[in-house]
Amino acid sequence: MIIVQVLQGLMEGVFLFLIASGLTLIFGVSRIVNFAHGSFYMLGAFLTYQIHPWIAAGTPGGFFTSILLCGVLVALIGLAFELVFLRRVYHAEELMQLVLTLAAVLIVRDLTKFFWGLDDVTVVLPDALSGAVIMGDLFLPTYQLAMVTVGVLVLVSLWAVLKFTRAGIVLRAATDDRGMVALLGINQAHVFTAVFTVGSFLAGIAGGFAAAFESVNYLLDARVIVLAFIVVVIGGLGNLYGALFAALGVGVVKSLGLLWAPRLSMVVIFLLMAVVLLFRSLRRTGE
Amino acid sequence: MAAEHRRGNASWSIDWRLVAATFVLVAIALHLSPPLVAFAIIEVMIFALYASALNLLLSYSGMVSFGHAVYFGLGAYGLAITIAKFGWPMWAGVVAGPLVSAFFGLVYGALCVQLTAIYAAMLTLACAEITFAIVFQWFDFTGGDSGISGHVPAMMGLSPAWFGMVVLVVVTICILALWRVVHAPLGLTIRAVGENPVRAAAMGHGRKRVQLAAFVISAFLSGVAGTLYGIFHGNVFPEYVGVLFTIDGLVMVLLGGLYSFGAGIYGAIVYKLLDNVMAHYFEYWQLVIGVILVLVVLVSPAGIAGLVSTVAARLRGRAG
Repeated sequence: MIIVQVLQGLMEGVFLFLIASGLTLIFGVSRIVNFAHGSFYMLGAFLTYQIHPWIAAGTPGGFFTSILLCGVLVALIGLAFELVFLRRVYHAEELMQLVLTLAAVLIVRDLTKFFWGLDDVTVVLPDALSGAVIMGDLFLPTYQLAMVTVGVLVLVSLWAVLKFTRAGIVLRAATDDRGMVALLGINQAHVFTAVFTVGSFLAGIAGGFAAAFESVNYLLDARVIVLAFIVVVIGGLGNLYGALFAALGVGVVKSLGLLWAPRLSMVVIFLLMAVVLLFRSLRRTGE
Repeated sequence: MAAEHRRGNASWSIDWRLVAATFVLVAIALHLSPPLVAFAIIEVMIFALYASALNLLLSYSGMVSFGHAVYFGLGAYGLAITIAKFGWPMWAGVVAGPLVSAFFGLVYGALCVQLTAIYAAMLTLACAEITFAIVFQWFDFTGGDSGISGHVPAMMGLSPAWFGMVVLVVVTICILALWRVVHAPLGLTIRAVGENPVRAAAMGHGRKRVQLAAFVISAFLSGVAGTLYGIFHGNVFPEYVGVLFTIDGLVMVLLGGLYSFGAGIYGAIVYKLLDNVMAHYFEYWQLVIGVILVLVVLVSPAGIAGLVSTVAARLRGRAG
């Protein structure tokens, strides 16, 4: 039983990583606390709901294509948001960026209500994905396995891009020291825009995947953004690999919490975050 | 120079003419308006105090609280629990409410000032969520999700107009006290720490101690607002401690205009006006608030407070 639950938690962790990775990348480079990330995730879910019947409905290929397409759409929305609004406040007070992303949350939520109403919408999985793999006691839904595969794929490609490409080097350098990167003649604005777009893309596909197992309604953004921030904060803001471990940890804690104390699982996660934060600050002052 | 301009540098003294005029105006409005409007005015006043208390943190101390509803709601719970569970008399409950908030502000604040920036903000969120979970689930003590009611007669049994007068007096005193705090040496220290903790530390003002003081004051005044709210409705629910009340407060301050004293007041007026009036005609009023916030950032970062002071300066210029 516990093993099943831990495995379940790890799978949820991979999914959490998918959301948190974009958030932490954006923060690392541009220092923007992007509340709108949850809204982009929600848009991904609703757009997938809207689009998936149109693209080879009922086949896994069509389903994944529509998720990918929605990721691209959300990325474009993120790109527009960055270019038109966010770009103007990079040099303003930190709180101004918070106001702007909070405004985006309010706007996206009401637009979602306007277009899709207040009720849950459901996305029907293609038959080929709705089964499960059974190994002894273990019951692993095919869809979740597919999601984990995608999560790992994203992780590996992010790692490869960061490690081996020039863009990755610039990005890592920008996370470490923005001023230095600018001094070296790299246009910071382009780096910010690119990272924001990629982050939004990740939020979009995460939302697309979630559409098939979450209850998709206009409150999805609030549910996910808090969890995503917890993961990012535990992992260390801007730290991609920290986010991975934090996501897996939070996933497992949440899943075990559901087993032992279902009403307290979020409390346990918040406690975990509080302890990690305070412990980290103690260690820092101890040095 | 930029910092000076940004934080505003209004004169120290209280403009008593303005205070008296506002007081009389609101008092007249309370007595002349039908009950429903009086209710709205009372609600605006209570939230003006709550948002102003939150604004002390946001605009001056360099802290962000993602869980301020806790201190608002615990005021109402302090009142309800001491009366309903401990059998205290009403006046004792009224005193207890804000003190409970201040106590939690002290405990949680002491933890949160160990961290800075977004990390501290996330810790305020964690404290708030944990408190909410306890309030929501400890049925025997807090009444769980059905809350507590019947411990005080709603509005102390007064008419809306006269209860409104009580709220007006309390809120006025609290906001004047907050003005004193902001402009007293303590307030200057809080602002110094908020603007440049390193320099403030070099002058002997440790960031943590000063921020904690600001946090406790803010929690106490939020508790006063929450206690008033608890008396206003004659009940208390977990939502008072919940995330929606936190967001309400934040949006009010941001709408009102960061880095100005009046942010909470202007923000509460506009937000509650939109909430109470516009919501009847237009379902998507939050969209309107979002658009206003975007405009605030892009056009007038000083928010409504900035617009008000620009207009006031222009009027004054014309008069002189």
